[in-house]
Amino acid sequence: MVEQPMHMQATAEAHTAPPILSMRSITKRFPGVIALDGVTFDVHPGEVHALVGENGAGKSTLMNIMSGVYTDFEGQIVLNGETVHFHNPRDAQKAGIVMIHQELNLVPELTVYENIFLGREHKSFGSIINRRSMRRTAQKLMFDLGLDIDPNRPINRMRVGQRQLVEIAKALNLNSRIIIMDEPTSALSDAEVEYLFSVIRNLRAHDVGVIYISHRLDEIFSIADRISVLRDGKVVGTSMAKDISRQELINSMVGRSLDVLYPKEAVELGDTILKVDHLSLRQGRTQVLDDISLEVRRGEIVGVAGLMGAGRTQLLETIFGVYPHGQASGTVWFDGQQRDIRTPKEAIELGIGLIAEDRKGQSLVLEQPVTENATLAALREFFYFLNIIDHRAERKAVTEIVDDLNIKTPSIRTMVANLSGGNQQKVVIAKFLLAKIKLFLLDEPTRGIDVGAKAEVYHLIGELAQQGTGFLLVSSELPELLAVCDRILVLCNGRLTGEFPRGSFDQAAIMEAATRFNDAENGPSQQQE
Amino acid sequence: MGTVTSTPATPSATDQARRTLNRVLSFIFRFQSFFGLIIVFILAIVYSPVRNGDNIFMSERNLSNVARDVAETGILATGQLLVILIGGIDLSVGSVVALTATGTAYLLMREGSLSLPLLGTLDVSPMSAEMAIGVILVLGLIIGWWNGWTSERFKIPSFVTTLAMLSIARGLAHIWSDNIAVPISYRAGGADPSFEILRERIYNNIIPVPAIIMFAAAFVMALVLRYTSFGRHLYAIGGNQTASRLSGISVTRIKIAAFMLCSFFAAMAGIVHAAQLNQGSPNEAVGYELNAIAAVVIGGASLMGGKGTIIGAIAGAFILGILDNMLSLNNVDSNTQLVVKGLLVLGAVALQQFRPRDVE
Repeated sequence: MVEQPMHMQATAEAHTAPPILSMRSITKRFPGVIALDGVTFDVHPGEVHALVGENGAGKSTLMNIMSGVYTDFEGQIVLNGETVHFHNPRDAQKAGIVMIHQELNLVPELTVYENIFLGREHKSFGSIINRRSMRRTAQKLMFDLGLDIDPNRPINRMRVGQRQLVEIAKALNLNSRIIIMDEPTSALSDAEVEYLFSVIRNLRAHDVGVIYISHRLDEIFSIADRISVLRDGKVVGTSMAKDISRQELINSMVGRSLDVLYPKEAVELGDTILKVDHLSLRQGRTQVLDDISLEVRRGEIVGVAGLMGAGRTQLLETIFGVYPHGQASGTVWFDGQQRDIRTPKEAIELGIGLIAEDRKGQSLVLEQPVTENATLAALREFFYFLNIIDHRAERKAVTEIVDDLNIKTPSIRTMVANLSGGNQQKVVIAKFLLAKIKLFLLDEPTRGIDVGAKAEVYHLIGELAQQGTGFLLVSSELPELLAVCDRILVLCNGRLTGEFPRGSFDQAAIMEAATRFNDAENGPSQQQE
Repeated sequence: MGTVTSTPATPSATDQARRTLNRVLSFIFRFQSFFGLIIVFILAIVYSPVRNGDNIFMSERNLSNVARDVAETGILATGQLLVILIGGIDLSVGSVVALTATGTAYLLMREGSLSLPLLGTLDVSPMSAEMAIGVILVLGLIIGWWNGWTSERFKIPSFVTTLAMLSIARGLAHIWSDNIAVPISYRAGGADPSFEILRERIYNNIIPVPAIIMFAAAFVMALVLRYTSFGRHLYAIGGNQTASRLSGISVTRIKIAAFMLCSFFAAMAGIVHAAQLNQGSPNEAVGYELNAIAAVVIGGASLMGGKGTIIGAIAGAFILGILDNMLSLNNVDSNTQLVVKGLLVLGAVALQQFRPRDVE
């Protein structure tokens, strides 16, 4: 009660400048669903307003309305005191509102600068493209942002994280007054996140309004001025960042208390299930992996930390048999026997499953139902004889696993494209569980899914570990690794630079190991896939 | 963002109406090719010329002819669908029909001796019908393997590899027959008379044998697509090739198998073609690949892969066939028929744009 007046004071102070944009009683209906229900949301100049909520809470819908993607809704948008109505994203862009999408919108075949100037090319004599001027401007933009990215580099030769930074640079080039960032850091390393934050602070100083959507609460508390929470299409609270605690925020997001986010289950470790000796991967002139040896035991969760481009993804893919023998070398023991795994098919038949980084591009057939996706790797479990599928047994198994994993889907015939990110990820896990996997290679399994779903995924991993499944877990989110792993390995530039057992986890030491070979250059590394 | 967890929507009248409309649309689009078929069928009846009070289109003889004419397109479309499901395309089937028809006629009719370098002269006599059909079907498999293998091994889009085969097969047909049509005759010393069954109509002289072959092929492939892992994997590869590979599917093998089956069915169509025309000519079957692709597309398949059904493809073949028949009965010249056919394909694909998003 004593604090109440102070709280009011802070709020009043922040609101002295009129909002640059306010959305009033926005309601948006989709067939059968009310995505937004009378939402009121505003942003002031020079403010970072974070928008949080679980997947499906309506964040993306709200931002799509603001940026002119959805034009059919109830309520009004007031920009600088005038009611506006955007007919398309271009209208919104002209009004100074730009959205950086979760899904990247870059043309992979074009270079960085060509993408930045796409549709707004510099021209001389009215029609001839002036590449030099564009290159120079792009170079300057990169310099201003402190990014070490060559503007002449084609997008398809860059990692996801670097592409994200290019996307941000592209938005900044528009001289926007309001920038919407939807999960901008989901693919960035810690160093890159720091870059991004300094860019955002810079924008704030220039009176740009930033709307920041993220699932990462640490980031929100370190960058946001104000936080709004969406739940089930309604705003359940708006508050200054300094007036709300982390736990309060989580509670208001999920509407229930998550006591422990990532509980670590006690597990009796079994014998060694995977042993890798002197594993190397060479692509062209690049030594992607250099002499890596490691072990995973039954029931053990081994984390792999490292920056982007350190070779974490390639490590998993090499074990999984993705690369041809000309490129990969070294020996692999699985379940006590030396194995020569040449294709993903052989890996899965042995009992190794890879959950890839890019859920939509590498793991799911989006336009097909849950059933077909769930049994994609395990179809052989459902044969009558020869290769004839027993649909009834398949249906039964899928229904059971959907139940077990608590996958929220209207039916097992629903297309996975219509599920939320967390539920999609659970379908991927289901796919490998049905294939009787003994060792999981997980690549960023919680990327872009909400807090509740993350906790569920890790809970599931813990349960499987108790049943004797081994895990090799790659994640950019160090807190998650620290919470769930029995051991953490650190990769840097393709080399193993550290190994930490659970008793001696040390965030600083891990970061040191992850950056050991990054000389003066600490920025996003230029290493390619 | 795919919003699944819905707030219990307050049922307003408009909402209700919209949902009903959506459900009706879903149903229509799901069986789009059937509705198209019914519409074309009704149009054909309405616009059919009437002689002595009899609707000519509906006469037994005419319907039987339609079924016979559709048979080849239907067989080709069955094979073409498999390749389109994996996101490929096979442009060579028309030429393969010409090559295999020529080959069938040659094997049935050949006589005298053949001089080969190194091997000397070979005495050749007409093959039995079973033997000739077997050899030609194997030839189809080999051509398909070549199409698939070159696409996969050298990572060339199938548009290009089968475009090459379009030229190669046509050229081979000309070489094989020495540029002239090979006639099939069933006189003594000529072709095996049992081959003639492919020209017959059974059951009161109504149902043409080629149509039976088409339905049998389509039925078997429909079962394969629904009940075997091969069928399931075709859809998965077309939907997301990377995900399929990482799920342990032998992507390369299955893609090559799809091409082999496609050319296998093209060879089957070629054999039927030879029997129907009583000859094998290297100049025949020009543009058949486009009919097959059109049938598949009208049947609701996506050229991006991963979507399509056999039933749709066969319905598409019938839509094209009935349309042709209707225009011919009304003495519309063949050039105009081509224009109409083109517009129909365009319309069918444009219609797909109105498909509601949540159609399974």
